[in-house]
Amino acid sequence: MERTPEIFEKIEGYLAHTLPKEEAIAFEKELIANPELQEEVEKHRVLHKTLSDKDTLDFKEKLMQISATIKEEQSHPPAPVSSPSYWKIAASIAILLGVGMLFWYTYTNQHNTQDLYGVYYEPFPVEDAMRGNTNNEMHSIIKNYAKGAYDSVAVVLEKHPNLDSQLQLYLGNSYLNIDQEEKAASLFKDIKSSGKYYEIAKWYLSLTYLKLNTPEKSIPLLKEIITYNGAYKDKATRLLTALEKK
Amino acid sequence: MNTTEDRKILEGIVAGNEVIITTFYRKNLPYIRQYILQNSGNEEDAEDVFQDALILVYQKLKTDSLDLHSSLRTYFYGICKNMWRNRLRKNKKMIITEKLPEDAEIITPTVIQDIEHKEREHVYRKHFLKLSDACREVLSLIFQGNSMKDIARITGYSEGYTRKKKFECKRYLIEMIEKDHAYLELQLNPEKGS
Repeated sequence: MERTPEIFEKIEGYLAHTLPKEEAIAFEKELIANPELQEEVEKHRVLHKTLSDKDTLDFKEKLMQISATIKEEQSHPPAPVSSPSYWKIAASIAILLGVGMLFWYTYTNQHNTQDLYGVYYEPFPVEDAMRGNTNNEMHSIIKNYAKGAYDSVAVVLEKHPNLDSQLQLYLGNSYLNIDQEEKAASLFKDIKSSGKYYEIAKWYLSLTYLKLNTPEKSIPLLKEIITYNGAYKDKATRLLTALEKK
Repeated sequence: MNTTEDRKILEGIVAGNEVIITTFYRKNLPYIRQYILQNSGNEEDAEDVFQDALILVYQKLKTDSLDLHSSLRTYFYGICKNMWRNRLRKNKKMIITEKLPEDAEIITPTVIQDIEHKEREHVYRKHFLKLSDACREVLSLIFQGNSMKDIARITGYSEGYTRKKKFECKRYLIEMIEKDHAYLELQLNPEKGS
């Protein structure tokens, strides 16, 4: 059954007993004849019943926070994605690269391109300019992205008709984290060659191809990044060397 | 068997006392994790069962229907184990061969029924909490019975945008729930009496 705003409104009106009498009778008749509609109404009924219990929802949220805190204490998390300083990000990447390279040299024969993806991939960090965004929706998107709720970010951003390059990068990274690599690739390819995000988009596109296990597509991109001679040159050089050794 | 310590923990749970709940979590999760890992589950299953069992206890406390005839720990472990056995049965990972589970006297048929009836709710809640803040805000206001006009006033959106947002968020939420393997298993093996 196709879900439309009109059907939702009708089901909600029926469940809340706010439909005019004639409409309610007609809807009940339709309901008897249509098992698919019955199922849909049942889904809405349980949804409303369960999620109107705010106390239990708050309790569940508290348990999730407690669990996250305990896990954080038990592990040594990597530097947060949201670190605002370029140097902090660069340092985290350098550490990751160091660990990654050590791992690489030790187990070189067992590695495949996807392992390299794991070593080199870091989500595109939230930029300071975005953090201060006063637009409610954008603020919420950035907050969700920073805390790793990538599916929520994707569902909101993919409905925006005109994404700028920066938001395309956030959406592309979200796709990468929810295993929708093809969509990520097409977004990164779309980023304009004239803007400051071009080099970054190339980097993430090369990583997307690694994740897709097509390193032959990553290599020309890495060479292009090296020739571009920007902020990603060093990383691209190391990754290219690692790929060529394979 | 309801000791002073258990009473304090129960009071802490119903009041949402973070220190008490965190202490309970730390002390008891390892046992449940071990049980679930030894019985075809993984870390995520263990966290889910632990949290869902605590929610059941919380809801029983809120409705004054917690009938405790053992220590809280024994009762809680009994709920977790029954919940896990129930989930295994539904996804056919385990054929139950036990004649009489060790906690049969503590976990009454009523509690077992409660566990079954709440399964769907856990899935709904889990996915709702994964939504963006904006979706959660709009849908929460809807579920609390607010009109579109009120929601538009509270959120600062236009009424038309609120309506659109409500539809998109709700549709996405239902789609996520439908894709959840636990939900699919519940559809294939419906809860008794629901």
